[in-house]
Amino acid sequence: MKADELLYQLLGVEAPWQIVQIRGDLGKDQIDVWIAQQTGRSGWFFGSKPNIPPGQEQVWRHINLGSSRCVIHSVVSTSAPPWNGQAGQPFTHAMAQLVGAMMRDGIKLQSICAILDITVADLWKFKHSLDSGKAGLADHAPAAATESDERKSRVADQDDPIWLKLLDGAVNIDIRLLSLKFLMTKLREQIRHITDDEVRTLKAYELHRFVVRHEQMLDHELSQLAKL
Amino acid sequence: MMKATTGLMSVGRAAELISAGKYLNIAGDEEALKQLPKGNWIGGTIPYFMADDGGVISRDRVFVNEIEVFGAAPSIRLLDVDSLPQICRNAPENGYTILVVPAFGPCHSSFAENAPNYEEMYMKPLIGWVAGVHLDDLGQRTPKVALGTTGELSDQHAVVIDVPLPAEKFARIDIVNLFKPGRGAAITFENTGFAAGDCRLGGQPANLADYLLAGKIDTRLPLVADYCGAAINVSIKAIDAAAKRVEFYAPVFPGVEYRIAEPLADYVSAFQSALPRIEGSITFSCNCILNFLYSELAGKRTGHITGPITFGEIAYQLLNQTLVYLTIEG
Repeated sequence: MKADELLYQLLGVEAPWQIVQIRGDLGKDQIDVWIAQQTGRSGWFFGSKPNIPPGQEQVWRHINLGSSRCVIHSVVSTSAPPWNGQAGQPFTHAMAQLVGAMMRDGIKLQSICAILDITVADLWKFKHSLDSGKAGLADHAPAAATESDERKSRVADQDDPIWLKLLDGAVNIDIRLLSLKFLMTKLREQIRHITDDEVRTLKAYELHRFVVRHEQMLDHELSQLAKL
Repeated sequence: MMKATTGLMSVGRAAELISAGKYLNIAGDEEALKQLPKGNWIGGTIPYFMADDGGVISRDRVFVNEIEVFGAAPSIRLLDVDSLPQICRNAPENGYTILVVPAFGPCHSSFAENAPNYEEMYMKPLIGWVAGVHLDDLGQRTPKVALGTTGELSDQHAVVIDVPLPAEKFARIDIVNLFKPGRGAAITFENTGFAAGDCRLGGQPANLADYLLAGKIDTRLPLVADYCGAAINVSIKAIDAAAKRVEFYAPVFPGVEYRIAEPLADYVSAFQSALPRIEGSITFSCNCILNFLYSELAGKRTGHITGPITFGEIAYQLLNQTLVYLTIEG
């Protein structure tokens, strides 16, 4: 088997679709693959060069290739091959099935992100579309909490209610760090639209992660939280 | 460690620093950048500067920020519009990134509209500036960025330098924005964009162009939004009365409440008052061409802060009419 045949098999790409471009330089440990359908004359080898019509390209995260992220660039196909996806969705059909199966098994969204190396934003978008369509996660009991950070820290645990209170505006503090001002603005706007408790918790975890990461720059902010 | 070299200088002096192996951010006119030798530098086109002795326009001098190296070497590369969203993910775990984006190109609009949602955005310090041209050259030349390692200039790519820092040091980015939200009606938009017509004024459907024209509002005043205590501007580029649309220098976002800024009587004196006490030296800073023009900063100093005068400022995301700066602490 040739190397390119292996890639076709791994991705499940079959005629009339073709891999037209591969890039490995767009992100760390990331392979971007462009897949297009032959236009004009029919045939696998003899048609005109396939390309993705301008303005129609969709970008989906596919199942990892080894330890590398795989990102597919293509157009929506009505035949829905596994490497393809829905318009505006973050994942290919194959990745969506995998994520959905993990959700059904009650795996925490945070763990899914870590296991599959996907972003919280993408998972949230996917889950939001499920919630507004046909599926929900509210019936699934939350899994056990992740191990807490053992080192000494002034930062409250990630499950402390203070993080959600900060995000929903129940608690306000004076913020000096510019990046925290931006992040809080973004998360507060997002959480206004989120009703699912698990996704709200994910947003709280995102804020917690920022504070842990920037603890040494947040004396002013943490001293206010300590007085609450 | 020797103090880093920063300031407006001749092309020859900048070439000496490059030849000495220094890592540099260089701003200058396109013809000046073309004269520089290959080396460890990134750059962008702009002939406007805030120098030690005040605001100046120069086509034959360049503004250099030397980037201090604390152990691991910085990395330099061009980014296309497809790889730009990975900029924060690819940044060092501890360190900072300087990004230069050419105005009016695909990276400019893509970054402006999408940066807040980039993976790892706000988690790692990202600062930078938007390259431009002399205003006399608008329409004749395009703003460009330069990859010093190859000498390549591009109006289609952005250029970055990732600077790792040791564990005991950390980078802090901050801004000085003299504009505050005024007392006028709150303005909100339905969509992200560099232009808008329909909006809501005080919660009621309205048209922004009509509002600005009817109120004879000074369009040198930006729209200002409150980001949890940070005043963030969107500057007005033009009003198309016939099309009932307003163009901006940065996108407006849905879910954000804007107000027309309060007028400023004297930018320079207000700047002096607003300037925070900054411990240590500033690694990088830049200010906006609109502040330079509207406040007539040529020949005037803005405290001890110097740097290129740019077509847009980047402090994590694209800003307008704002001074941004980065310091290394620890």
